[in-house]
Amino acid sequence: MNPHAAQPTSLFSLGKSIWTNRHLIQKLAWREVVERYKGSVLGLFWSFINPVLMLIVYTFVFSVVFQAKWGVGDAENKTSFALILFAGLILHGFLAEVFNRAPNLILNNANYVKKVVFPLELLPIICLASASFNGAISITVLLIASVIVNGYLPWTVMFIPLVILPLGTLVLGCAWILAALGVFVRDVSQTIGIITTVMLFMAPVFFPLSAMPEKFHPFILANPLTFIIEQAREVLIFGRQPNWSGLAVYMLIAFGVAWLGYVWFQKTRKGFADVL
Amino acid sequence: MFGFKKLVRDLLMSSDDIAIRIQGLTKSFQIYNAPQDRLKQFFMPRLLKFLGKSDRRYYKEFKALEGVSFEVKKGETVGIVGRNGSGKSTLLQMICGTLAPTDGQVETHGRIAALLELGSGFNPEFSGRENVYMNATVLGLSQEEVDDRFDEIIYFADIGDFLDQPVKTYSSGMMVRLAFAVIAHVNADILIVDEALAVGDAFFSQKCMRFLREFMKTGTVLFVSHDTASVKSLCSSAIWLEKGMLIQEGSPKDVCELYLEAFFEAQQGKSSTTRLRKLEKIRSPSSVKDQRLEFINASNLRNDIALFEFDSDAASFGKGGAEILGVQLLDGFEHLLTWIVGGETVIFRVFVYCQENLTSPIIGFHIKDKLGQTLFGDNTFLTYQDQPVGCSQGDEIVADFVFNMPLLPAGEYTVSVAIADGTQEAHVQHHWIHDALHFKSESSSVSTGLVGIPMQEIKMFKKN
Repeated sequence: MNPHAAQPTSLFSLGKSIWTNRHLIQKLAWREVVERYKGSVLGLFWSFINPVLMLIVYTFVFSVVFQAKWGVGDAENKTSFALILFAGLILHGFLAEVFNRAPNLILNNANYVKKVVFPLELLPIICLASASFNGAISITVLLIASVIVNGYLPWTVMFIPLVILPLGTLVLGCAWILAALGVFVRDVSQTIGIITTVMLFMAPVFFPLSAMPEKFHPFILANPLTFIIEQAREVLIFGRQPNWSGLAVYMLIAFGVAWLGYVWFQKTRKGFADVL
Repeated sequence: MFGFKKLVRDLLMSSDDIAIRIQGLTKSFQIYNAPQDRLKQFFMPRLLKFLGKSDRRYYKEFKALEGVSFEVKKGETVGIVGRNGSGKSTLLQMICGTLAPTDGQVETHGRIAALLELGSGFNPEFSGRENVYMNATVLGLSQEEVDDRFDEIIYFADIGDFLDQPVKTYSSGMMVRLAFAVIAHVNADILIVDEALAVGDAFFSQKCMRFLREFMKTGTVLFVSHDTASVKSLCSSAIWLEKGMLIQEGSPKDVCELYLEAFFEAQQGKSSTTRLRKLEKIRSPSSVKDQRLEFINASNLRNDIALFEFDSDAASFGKGGAEILGVQLLDGFEHLLTWIVGGETVIFRVFVYCQENLTSPIIGFHIKDKLGQTLFGDNTFLTYQDQPVGCSQGDEIVADFVFNMPLLPAGEYTVSVAIADGTQEAHVQHHWIHDALHFKSESSSVSTGLVGIPMQEIKMFKKN
């Protein structure tokens, strides 16, 4: 590896970097997962307990106290709303976790920039991996709850990785952009929290799209979460196949964003050491 | 065009034996008074240009390194000396590739392992074990290779139970131990060491030095230090950086001497002259005694040391308030020597002429081997601390040092002499002659070490 060559921007170079550093990614991502609950008595078990408790709280507040209905027909029972809500929250949580951390990824690892020649482009990937782990646990909890409530699992559950893959790709691309931007413009890390919160309410998480006035629909549909959340509910809860062509288009765009993000990151990383 | 140039360059200089090539390397930092200026700098020039107005800069430029060029051949050990802020670390960072140059080129051949500052690249939250894996992986080892070498690394670092503690709990010494242990085991071709070794304790320093000397046989080393002695003893050539520019490049001895001169000059203001005018030749010796005669029948391992006359033209520097006229080596009966024998009592005599009034002059000397390593030396400060021999212009002072000449391994030696005014800690160098006297040790019974001491007795016998 020649540290003085310009940083490669091709996808091939990215793939190569991921492959040669796969152990590193694995280790660091796992660390991040474990780190969060380090020192607690229950340890990693918390990553399971947390979503369970959340789901219980949602069920109580929305289904028992508010008696909220999603409006999906007769099949809707007491806990449906909580499950539908939870599915949306999991996906938003996944996106928000990566987005909120991305601007600080490089800032918090100044050592990796200044003291060693570190494959910095992997930091967002590591972040994504640990967020994916937490998301996967939450989805598992959702599925278990769904079995308990309904007594069965729709077969379409097996499509969920395919539904989340485009979102993951998009999130990764944004993470690269944010990570590099966060180094130069420190305000990004302040703003991003607000943006992710807005994204939560501008997506059909707490309410179905139909509950929103017509004129706001374009905004909600423009939110990259909207489509994925709806598709995820289709496969996880309603047992219907996702909108395959929609997913394909989404994936294509996400891929473009990811590549753009990667190129942007690789082009700007030369300046990191000057600013840190 | 570029391709052609490159081709010609490749043809002209085969890069086979070059480890590091640096051409016109420049690094400038933009210093902003406020963070928003950075943003302004990003947008405003474009906007002004668009509006057809003249450009404006929102930053001050600081050149940390300017037009530095040099080459390091494979297997060379190059020392970099320079004061704080002279650009040493910036240079190293660019060679390692952690900092991008503003202008110029860096070319390196081979795997670089660097020890920049304390605990380079360690994550303070991770345990030592995790950091070893991470650091080694980043340096290019595969998982299996790290597994294979892990025990060796831990043995080298020798930090005991701390291995599984987070690195943030480590002492700085432990951090360096671990960092050094890792880079010592990654099969690097080029090793870059940034004055980090000073932190470890004596045992570890020894271990590092052993490793470094072993590594130098095959690898290339770039070594930064304030300690000119270690540069002189370790390096095959040296580079002196000052204010981001390369001042001198050459043999470690020459570079370090010049650096030291500049250092003193900077401390005590401008030097009146670097090569002082010779006042008068010291009186020629009245009776020269050749001690060889007395020992002529002794064994051939006798430590004969040939002595050369005082070189009044040797490189010197100082403020010029006093001048060293001459230096003599005498035997115990004050006979001038041309030949000394290790183990004998000698008198080292220094003559000084005062150009100014000096309140508390200190005269000192040290003896160096051919690598420039100081073997020993002394000065008059402690002895005359309480009643300084004040002198006025025109006075002549003589200082005598009576000591047993140690046994010296065969080789050439020089004596540096200096006259200063003040105290041990704060003084003004008036005249410092680098190699005022030089002598040669022809044969020696010294088997190891820099100097030998006369053994009182050596015995060996069977225990029953």
